[in-house]
Amino acid sequence: MSRYFREWSVAGALGVLLIVLAIFAPAFFQAQPLLSLAAAEAPTLVIACGMALVIICREIDISVGSQFSVCGVCAGLLAAHHAPTAVALAAAIGTGACLGAINGALVAGLRLPSIVVTLATMMTWREGLNWWRQGEFVYLPEHLQWFGLSQSAGQWTLIAAAGLLLVALALALRHLTAGRFLYAVGTDMEAARLAGVSPQRVKFTTFVTMGALTGLAAMMNVVQSPQVDPKSGTGLELKTIAAVVVGGVSISGGRGSLWGAFVGLLLLACISPALTHLHIEAYWEKAIQGAIILLAVVADGVRTRRKKS
Amino acid sequence: MSPPPLLELRGLLKSYGGVRALRGVDFDLRAGEVHALLGENGAGKSTLIKVVTGAHQPDGGTVSIDGQPVTGLTPASARKLGVACIYQQPALFPDLTVAENIALRLEPTSGFRRVAWAARRTRAQQLLDRIGAEISPEAEIRTLAMPQQQLVEIACAVGAGARIVIMDEPTASLTQKEQHLLFAVVHDLRAHGVGVIYISHRLEEIFGLADRVTVLRDGQSISTQAVAAIDEARLIQLMVGREVTQIYPPSESAPGEVVLSLSHLGASATPTRVRDITFDVRAGEVFGLAGLVGAGRTDLARVLFGLVPADSGEIRLQGQPVHLKSPQDAVAHGIACVPEDRRRHGVVLEMPVAHNMSMAIHSRLFPGSWLRLGAERRLALDFIRDLSVKCHGPEAPAGSLSGGNQQKVSLARWLATKPKVLILDEPTQGVDVGAKSEIHRIVRRLAKAGLAVVLISSDLPEVLGMSDRIGVMCSGALTAILPGDADAATVMAAALGKGSKGKAA
Amino acid sequence: MSAAPAAAPRWKAILFRHETLLLLVLVAEWFYFDAVGARFATLDNTFEIVRHHVEIGLLALVMTPVILTGGIDLSVGSLLGLCAILFGKFWRDAGLSPLEAGACTIVVGALAGGLNAALITELRLPPLIVTLGTYSLFRGLAEAITHGSDTFTGFPSSFLALGQGHWLGLPAQTPVFVVVALGVWLLVHRTTFGRGFRAIGFAPEGARYAGIPVERRLALAYVLTGMVAAVAAIIYTARLGQARADAGTGYELYAITAVVLGGTSIFGGVGSVHGTLLGLAAIAVLDDGLVHARLPREAAGVLTGVLLLLALTGSVAPKLWAARSKRRPAPPAATPPSPPLPTP
Repeated sequence: MSRYFREWSVAGALGVLLIVLAIFAPAFFQAQPLLSLAAAEAPTLVIACGMALVIICREIDISVGSQFSVCGVCAGLLAAHHAPTAVALAAAIGTGACLGAINGALVAGLRLPSIVVTLATMMTWREGLNWWRQGEFVYLPEHLQWFGLSQSAGQWTLIAAAGLLLVALALALRHLTAGRFLYAVGTDMEAARLAGVSPQRVKFTTFVTMGALTGLAAMMNVVQSPQVDPKSGTGLELKTIAAVVVGGVSISGGRGSLWGAFVGLLLLACISPALTHLHIEAYWEKAIQGAIILLAVVADGVRTRRKKS
Repeated sequence: MSPPPLLELRGLLKSYGGVRALRGVDFDLRAGEVHALLGENGAGKSTLIKVVTGAHQPDGGTVSIDGQPVTGLTPASARKLGVACIYQQPALFPDLTVAENIALRLEPTSGFRRVAWAARRTRAQQLLDRIGAEISPEAEIRTLAMPQQQLVEIACAVGAGARIVIMDEPTASLTQKEQHLLFAVVHDLRAHGVGVIYISHRLEEIFGLADRVTVLRDGQSISTQAVAAIDEARLIQLMVGREVTQIYPPSESAPGEVVLSLSHLGASATPTRVRDITFDVRAGEVFGLAGLVGAGRTDLARVLFGLVPADSGEIRLQGQPVHLKSPQDAVAHGIACVPEDRRRHGVVLEMPVAHNMSMAIHSRLFPGSWLRLGAERRLALDFIRDLSVKCHGPEAPAGSLSGGNQQKVSLARWLATKPKVLILDEPTQGVDVGAKSEIHRIVRRLAKAGLAVVLISSDLPEVLGMSDRIGVMCSGALTAILPGDADAATVMAAALGKGSKGKAA
Repeated sequence: MSAAPAAAPRWKAILFRHETLLLLVLVAEWFYFDAVGARFATLDNTFEIVRHHVEIGLLALVMTPVILTGGIDLSVGSLLGLCAILFGKFWRDAGLSPLEAGACTIVVGALAGGLNAALITELRLPPLIVTLGTYSLFRGLAEAITHGSDTFTGFPSSFLALGQGHWLGLPAQTPVFVVVALGVWLLVHRTTFGRGFRAIGFAPEGARYAGIPVERRLALAYVLTGMVAAVAAIIYTARLGQARADAGTGYELYAITAVVLGGTSIFGGVGSVHGTLLGLAAIAVLDDGLVHARLPREAAGVLTGVLLLLALTGSVAPKLWAARSKRRPAPPAATPPSPPLPTP
């Protein structure tokens, strides 16, 4: 119980929110808008999973938003030039992995702090993309939208894909030795090294994984609309970091789970539509999001302080 | 012809910087024996462990395992050869469960293999059962107390099939019951043909457990004896009986009025609980605090310096009770403390000598917070000359100085506060011989000038040679206050918790 | 006694070299843009560059002490937005004069910085995550107060002169910038506070042992950042003639970039305010020069990012090289699991 205490408390908060909605705004629970919401948040979930991995090994990646845009545009351009969907998908994931590898090489190879490295790459990719595309949208061929399926089928596909990925990654993190290395490296690099794990290799791999997941997420976003907005990734890094931190992944590494990231994201994703349904102005969303992040870290801080004394 | 010993060390040499930690150590360990390693702090025990576990490379000498010389030992290859070490502070991952920690040690560390949770748990349970530990494999390490963590370490060693198990003061934090449990484990290991290197300061453990004992002193192996053929008095004599290599400056001061007075002082927010400490220190007196590592001397110093709050008892300065809530309070009351960990707490390595020296007197040297670089430079130059600090001027970063000179910088920082009480925590640790005797002379001079000095040192001859009176601590309590001319064996006996023979002074 | 002989001069030389290098980059930028662009190296244009970068410059200046302590403040851009619209609120809806509104805004900025400081010092939370939370919170409050669309315009021309007018031929905001720059420079380089910041950045525990009031120093750095962010918000409003909730979006990144580019180590301890000013100038000239060189503005972002990475790599390369050639030195004490310090 204590192991997943944080996850359960966030799930509890989500439950309270849903009950409030059920009483005051039952309209929230209409199937179609909920489905759209879930499909729209599916790419974010994929990135949040990657972010959880990165934060567990005591790093951070704030370039995911820019990576997301770059991957989306690359995949979109390929598709617009009549490449099959599979090729576009592979391109998105490949681009993401390459960008992630650059971050990883700088962080693991040169041992630079990830916060500054990804700050620099975030700016470089974002502005580079703007330079290249001048903010132009990429218009996509019909067959790409919803993978050529009907809208609801497409939405279900995306949700299923994100869900499967979450389960697979969560299981891998828990049941593969490689997953356990992540926690070891995040807890204590020196102890991990003495236990025979190479922290630098683990970190590099994690950043590459983060990039590949971002690419996948970008593709999942691309298929949802008839065009690719080169600014679609703006703010994603904060949203995912917030979800992960709220879900109990410790920013100082080594603690937390993907389930936590999942419930954290669910909570944050529900706020905006919940505000609309509760007739609160949607402009409060960001403030509430910030307050939730602070609440989560304050809870952590108070708990560790109490434990110490 | 008997089989070759499990582990054999011949003429081992190792130095760090200029400090020679090992100067020719011979040691051998046979299968199925418990070989105790005994020596004062700094005698070279931990360096020896580091060499055997492959953490550090020796500068000279040979290490043989099963009669085969091994070179270029690394932590991984040492483990492969069957060496395991149980440290005082277990090196476990606090956020992972017991089973996972054991698995991280034991399972191969490559590839994306599946974690066999059931098998892991079963094995962890078996290992824990085998050593008789009542710990759930599912518990997270940080929920466990220190002794339980140690048992997990032992389980790892057992599980790794280690043939050479090193135990570094395993009982330091164990209760009586846990100790018996541990002894049973050690007996069991021995019965299975494992060689155990057992390091402890508790003589009764050595007599109860070990087959042979080797005494280390000043980085050399002094003597190896069968435990059955030796007694406590002889062991203590071997440990401390070094030839006098250093002349300590004689005490010249006549102690004056009581400056620092502690009565029944206690604190629990420290690693070792400080309990019921009562003593006085007079102006012009050097009060030595002897004891073994973990006896609570540094913890007491932290309480006196306001870093840790006291829960009970009273601190009086020149008769006035004081409450110390922060180092700033302590400084304001005239207490200064040269901390033990010079590189982390004593000086800021990256900052210039002058900045380091002025750091504790910012408010006095720089009225209105305004830096007066000229005054600071003069202060630094004065201290550099006064303490003969060898450096390239006040602008040199403290990290570019040798250990002894760094220590002088740290000392200068606190002398600049013009304290009434100076606490010196291991002032000569990791300092070469020349600088060491310089520091001794400085301490003498300060005492003569009327400072009350509390000298914490694990170097027994230093405490004996420098102190006017000696307080001895053991497990957080003061076990004896001895006159300055007490002999080493008496102090050592008190530090080992052997009665309080000389509670005279 | 072999205390590394050339340590002191080399230490200085490296610091010196970083700033000289940056100065060379700046000069090269200047001449390049002068050669390719029309009307770049004119006095008017120089003033325009100054005018457009005063707000980022103010943020970068006060970010310097924060980063010197080993911390970071991601919330400054959002706080600028919040302060801008609160200034508008105070002036338009509360009917205060611009002067009074400005004073109130600075108080709000100090309070916001105090929130960051309280969470960081009282609960010992990592600054990165605390200011990430307030980043979201401050921007969110700004959006909530304006309902996302309300903008404040129609400020009196006497107020707008602060952002658009001239003073002795200089852009009117220059004196504010100079005063803050001088103040921060003196704080960091000429007072005991600056010493405290550095000591905390190098060794927080060591600073505590030396009797430095660590919590109070940290609080000062964050509160100061909040106050100056409010000042930047007022100037921003005066320059654009309007206050909107999205004011200052992304400014925190530019400010951090200027600081790190200027040679301040992200791990704390090492750095200087004049370095920050040089870093800021390099970014500002690049930003403006590319426009004059008929290159898209985005190129400035790309180049800034690349420049930042190069500066970082340059700062760790010698250390890494030394570590490689020495093959893992074995210090007698256990090394803490913290990231390696960059060479100063």
